[in-house]
Amino acid sequence: MKKTGLLYDERYLNHNTGLYHPETPDRLRVIYKGLTEAGLLPKLKLIPARPAEMKWVESVHDKAYIKRFRELSLSGERTFDYPDNQICTETFDTAILAVGGILDAVRLVMTGDVDNAFCAVRPPGHHAEYDKAMGFCYFGNVAIAVRYLMSEWDIKQVGIIDFDVHHGNGTQHVFEEEASVFYYSIHEHPSFAFPGTGRVFEKGVGLGTGFTRNYPVLPGQGDKEYEKIFETDLLPMFDQFKPEVIIVSTGFDAHMDDAISGIKVSTEGFTWIMQRIMELADKYSNGRLVSVLEGGYSLTRLPELAANHVKTLLNDSL
Amino acid sequence: MFVSKTMTRKVITISPDADLFEAQDRMAKNNIRHLPVVIEDNKLVGIVTDRDIRSTMPSSLFKELECTLEEKDSVCQLKVKDIMTPDPMSISLLDTIQDAMLLIQGERIGALPVVDEDGKLKGIISIRDLLRAFINVMGIEEPGTLLGILVEEKVGELKKIVDIIVGEGISLGSVLVAKYWEEGKRAVFPYLFAMNVNPVKEKLKTMGYELLDPLQWYIDKLPEMDDPE
Repeated sequence: MKKTGLLYDERYLNHNTGLYHPETPDRLRVIYKGLTEAGLLPKLKLIPARPAEMKWVESVHDKAYIKRFRELSLSGERTFDYPDNQICTETFDTAILAVGGILDAVRLVMTGDVDNAFCAVRPPGHHAEYDKAMGFCYFGNVAIAVRYLMSEWDIKQVGIIDFDVHHGNGTQHVFEEEASVFYYSIHEHPSFAFPGTGRVFEKGVGLGTGFTRNYPVLPGQGDKEYEKIFETDLLPMFDQFKPEVIIVSTGFDAHMDDAISGIKVSTEGFTWIMQRIMELADKYSNGRLVSVLEGGYSLTRLPELAANHVKTLLNDSL
Repeated sequence: MFVSKTMTRKVITISPDADLFEAQDRMAKNNIRHLPVVIEDNKLVGIVTDRDIRSTMPSSLFKELECTLEEKDSVCQLKVKDIMTPDPMSISLLDTIQDAMLLIQGERIGALPVVDEDGKLKGIISIRDLLRAFINVMGIEEPGTLLGILVEEKVGELKKIVDIIVGEGISLGSVLVAKYWEEGKRAVFPYLFAMNVNPVKEKLKTMGYELLDPLQWYIDKLPEMDDPE
């Protein structure tokens, strides 16, 4: 058994996206309920949210953007640039709590208080750009965590695995010119899905060439395709890169019952994926792994998906 | 839609008396494949392509092989005017992008010099310029989601679709309408600046529209074409 941290806080429910939006507080409610009913909570170290220091948010985002987001959120405005980005008066504070909680989870992994952690946060982060909110995302949670790891903990090689069904354009753009961060994303093909980036020829820029890897999956594909990608491409590439820490952008929206995509990964498929990532972490990263929630909108499937995910982190029998 | 708005204005040109190495060098340095050939007053007299040059030059694989001085000399003596296409097909400033597309496609060429009424070179429009314009028209450089909808070929269908999208507060990056292989049907591809497109999909289905299976999408495919196997 491993020591696994769970970042969860009821304040993450305060970001209200209104009616008819898939990224609802209910997602976290059912995830927490799923973990509770699976009897997992006593096995986990609960990590409460805390506000992030602004210097970490500013390590990835434009100051003027942060200011604009705060002002817009407090003003009572409901939409931030695109109708996708529904906000309320609590959204800015919630986003800051998400970042802060994740940084604390990273810290606990680095101090050895826990081996790994699952960060059940809202809002998600991997679409957020340097100066633009996008695709339900406001701050690049994972990107900020990597910046924190590199400057506060002197980590030189970070691996990011993003299996959310959408391409993490924001994360990619932060690190695409760097050879110290390997960003690997598997997602629905950008010609058929948001955000239209993450094409196979996007491989990094300048010194970072070869340290960005995009593997688009066609609509209708599922477990078999993901198994092939891991075995023939992802695992060999990480065998070469040897990350000191692995950060996972965990999206459950490639599930066959998730209406947002045409990808058909099964519940068992998600467990298989996470088991392979755990093996990678054990092999190269001393087990150090932080999983950060991105998408996943099927309220009926999220409980089991989250429970299996956490069981895998715990190295508990399924 | 005038060619003058989409063409490349800063044209790299060459003189008819330049030698082939200079022409080759100029194309390589600027990463281009066509050099309009001009004389004084920028008057267009020909065009030379990288293929014209490559088919004249001995293969680089033969560099180390025996090759008589005379043979080497004959290549060195060649000038652009000896291998260029004289009086090339060109297009005028007030012709349109559509003209350029149809001409380039029909003549199977890669680029068209753009000239004014005195035959002076004003620009060049290449396949790449047209691609750039098409990428712009598709709107795909901004994040969004493409939908595919099958509609009856009758007046007012597109309006209903656009109304549904606008009703959700979503901006449109583009709407492409393509021929469909079934008689009397069209395929409509709206590109939405949104990730959350399910409400639009649901409303379309409620109104009786058939969403195209993403794997059957095409923007350009001839009807009843067999898959190459």
